Amino acid sequence: MKRRLFVAGALGAGLAGCGPIATALNNSSALRGALGIVDGPDDALLGGEHLAQEYPPSAIAPVFRTNGLPTPADAAYRALLASNFTTYRLTVDGNVERPLSLSLPQLERFPQRTQITRHDCVEGWSVIGEWGGALLWPVLAAARPHRSARYVVFHCMDRDDSGVAYYESLDIPQAHQPQTLLATHLNGVALDPDHGAPVRLRVPTQLGYKSAKWVHRIELVATFSHIEGGSGGYWEDQGYEWYAGI
Amino acid sequence: MRIAHWVWALAFAVLVSSGLQIFNAAPYLDASNASNPARRVLSIGSPQDGVGTTTIFGHTFVTTGWLGWTDDGLGEQSARAFPGWVTIPSYQDLADGRRWHFFFAWVAVVCWIAWLVSSAVKGNLRKMLLSRADVRNLWPMQAYYLRLRKTPPPYDEYNPLQKAAYTAIVFIVAPLIVLTGLALSPGADAIAHPLTVMFGGRQFARLWHFVCMLALIAFFVLHVIQVATRGVVNQMRSMITGWFVEEAPPA
Repeated sequence: MKRRLFVAGALGAGLAGCGPIATALNNSSALRGALGIVDGPDDALLGGEHLAQEYPPSAIAPVFRTNGLPTPADAAYRALLASNFTTYRLTVDGNVERPLSLSLPQLERFPQRTQITRHDCVEGWSVIGEWGGALLWPVLAAARPHRSARYVVFHCMDRDDSGVAYYESLDIPQAHQPQTLLATHLNGVALDPDHGAPVRLRVPTQLGYKSAKWVHRIELVATFSHIEGGSGGYWEDQGYEWYAGI
Repeated sequence: MRIAHWVWALAFAVLVSSGLQIFNAAPYLDASNASNPARRVLSIGSPQDGVGTTTIFGHTFVTTGWLGWTDDGLGEQSARAFPGWVTIPSYQDLADGRRWHFFFAWVAVVCWIAWLVSSAVKGNLRKMLLSRADVRNLWPMQAYYLRLRKTPPPYDEYNPLQKAAYTAIVFIVAPLIVLTGLALSPGADAIAHPLTVMFGGRQFARLWHFVCMLALIAFFVLHVIQVATRGVVNQMRSMITGWFVEEAPPA
């Protein structure tokens, strides 16, 4: 009986003690790697070609909550904003045959799409809005990617307090999805600065941190291991999953 | 079966703790698809420094020290829904909380299947499941516990109420907590949107996921009390056979 009581007590104590134990363990990158072995199966199971659910206009939230940082404060972005984005250029380069530099009117000449989808934040909240903009794939195709290009890296104009720029990445199948947009409009009007003006990525089948705001350069690469922390994105470098569909 | 039970128990402890860590990133639950404060069932917050509050169905309680204003896992008190001593990691770290949660979610599912298969093969499963005769005896058993009846109804290894609890946990709550968890994933939502709709939307699924956790914790508490009292109360010996006696790991 005593052993049983001990076992029960140990389980209870174990539950309360998990936090501090895990805190100690978390300082080990090997452990992080070990826990991360489920990322591959998760991506394989949930990634796929399926499209996100689209909603009727009645589902649109009156206020679209801002995810991530508010408007970048640096001078370059302020100047761009002051020009009403007439000086904005979207660069597409890297492993491509024909690098592009597109103004907003040029971007608007690519195939457009509007979709009412739910934005799911990694923190747990959700909000529904209508996104409009250019399909990503035709823009990439116009730059004629080399066969060696396996990932699409999105470089952004915002930096954190340490000066690290936001970036994100998709693989080619994700970039190919018909809901993956270079969004320029939210709820029928041009994006405002807090929501990523003038151009942000929209990937409705993955969590919000994939949908990078203030995109100014799209780079096609064979691997992203040489970029910033090497994990394929700003939050990925801080331990979040590269496949953000879970 | 023994191994599956104990590994599952470990996984459950980690899943609860890392789940509370994840909850802390958005410490509220809405009965809706997108977040909607008008349909908020539970929220935990800190209206001002030094005060923690918990609001359930619109009723607010001061829960300073326990919920809302708690230890931040780094030795300080701060605005934090669940305290550091129940979360993994103890300090606020959503990224690592998610890693622990997703890894042990796989462990728990594999254990659940292994336990089902092995206990079915051994024949224990049949003894634990609620049968038609047990349903008739549910009330007499409860009446016995309430001292409205002098003798319990006849049963073999597990009494009808135990069987009802085991059946509900293994075949209803366990699958539900997996499915509601999946409904939170935008990838799974794209594959099986009807699943999310069935739970009332993504935020509602988050609420059900939390409720399933509460049900599992309630079961765990009763389960442990039964185990702990078994030797003390001799006449109840036949009620709780097997389970812990044979499954205690070598100390």
